[in-house]
Amino acid sequence: MVEAILDPTGGRRAVAQGAAVLTPNRLKLAGATIGLLENTKKNAAPFLAELGRLLVERHGAAGVVARTKAAFAMPIPEEQLAELARTCDAVITGVGDCGSCSASAVADGIAFERHGIPAAVICSDAFIVTADAMAGMRDATGYRYVVTPHPVAVLGPDEVRKRAEEALDDVVAILTSVAS
Amino acid sequence: MTAPDPVVAQEAIEYCYEQGWTDGLPVVPASRPLVDEFLARTSRAPEEVIGRVEQLDRECTVEQAAISAAMAGCRPEYFPVVLAAWDALMLDRAARGGGWQSTSGPSPMLVVNGPVRQELGFNSTGGVFGPGFRPNATVPRAIGLMVRNAFGIHPHVLEQATQGLPGRWQICFGENEEESPWEPLSVSAGLGDGVSAVTAMLLRTVEYVDNRHTQDHEQVLWDLADTMSRTGALIFREASYGLVLGPEHAQLLAKNGMSKQDVQAWMIEHVGRTGRDLRRAGKSAGEKHVRGASESTDGDDEFQRFLPSPRHVPVVVAGSRNAAMSMVVRVFGEWSGKAVAVEGTA
Repeated sequence: MVEAILDPTGGRRAVAQGAAVLTPNRLKLAGATIGLLENTKKNAAPFLAELGRLLVERHGAAGVVARTKAAFAMPIPEEQLAELARTCDAVITGVGDCGSCSASAVADGIAFERHGIPAAVICSDAFIVTADAMAGMRDATGYRYVVTPHPVAVLGPDEVRKRAEEALDDVVAILTSVAS
Repeated sequence: MTAPDPVVAQEAIEYCYEQGWTDGLPVVPASRPLVDEFLARTSRAPEEVIGRVEQLDRECTVEQAAISAAMAGCRPEYFPVVLAAWDALMLDRAARGGGWQSTSGPSPMLVVNGPVRQELGFNSTGGVFGPGFRPNATVPRAIGLMVRNAFGIHPHVLEQATQGLPGRWQICFGENEEESPWEPLSVSAGLGDGVSAVTAMLLRTVEYVDNRHTQDHEQVLWDLADTMSRTGALIFREASYGLVLGPEHAQLLAKNGMSKQDVQAWMIEHVGRTGRDLRRAGKSAGEKHVRGASESTDGDDEFQRFLPSPRHVPVVVAGSRNAAMSMVVRVFGEWSGKAVAVEGTA
């Protein structure tokens, strides 16, 4: 009798195939409250704060709710997701600039979208493969996120603000429109 | 016994490569009868989940661990050690979180204590960090294959090591209890003497200290502390550095009246750098617990200690008594401080 070679993966590929699932409820920025979920990585908080400021100043957002994700490598806890979903009309999260935090930022973005909240994930271009792989694992291949050049951690305050400004159009496009 | 068909063996090995199941080296294709021999060595159910990465929605079962151990080249009797090593790793916060995906590419260091070392032939003397011994080589490889295949964490995809540590899935050795003047690491970690056990921690780097021309134990301590005080691997405010002492260094220290705890206390006191050194390396300041650059010269003359507690200085004795060499191992995050007993052994 010929024996089969056993599969060590439990029958799962590293990356599943799937389709991007965004909430169809895209956002009108005027009057919206924007959640800023920083992940404790260096420069993440000022990067998101500047995006929030620009959305208020240039797009009429009403204000921001700033929160910190305690464990950058892990998905957002249910309670924190529920709280942000309850108090905000959209969420910006990141910055994904490490192996685990880029993946988990994308997982969070997808979780928000599936909760009916538009979300823009900021991820460094060094981690596109990881971010895309996570989207695949969450059955959301093709998930759109905002790419900022690597590195982020080393930037000074003025450079962070410039970076946020450069990312602004992509953030607005993701939060307000379903089309890619 | 008829010699097996090498062509069939090669085809089976190539099949595993094509599936993306290998770490780059050939694996043993796992068959049902072989994996059943592994499962027979544990009382745990094949479907029991022994690890889960929440962020990836993936888990590892006893069955998957058995398949990986078989593929890694373990013998079935090693399987309880693989399970103990895995359980010990799962006590590590980073290993439960995003550690396997980290840009630092940490390697587990597995330390085996107790009679299981002799029963299975673990090397604890000459060349403990090197090749040549089947259990030392295959047990950590099994862990790597579990991370790759059960958790789905592949290099260049979800695993993002910038460079990684040489020997990432190869660091596993027995403690040289016979030539150590102190209690075994597993006993320091709370288990009874003579209990076979595995202790695990993640490493960022390994650096040898060669000091064989002095009988002054304080000179040896200073040499070890200097290597532990490097700025390169220092990223957080506090650090953890293990010592894998060669028997000669351990015996010199013990001969001068030092217990393992005394060595740890000495290192806590002396391992660190001045604010000036740290400023030059761009590591004098920082937000929260992560170190960063600062222009400020405040605190330049202050000596900053790196090691906050004895648990941040695990000490183990391994290697041969043929030259006075030791290894400083930079621990990634923090050792759990706990050893796990090997099932079915004394």
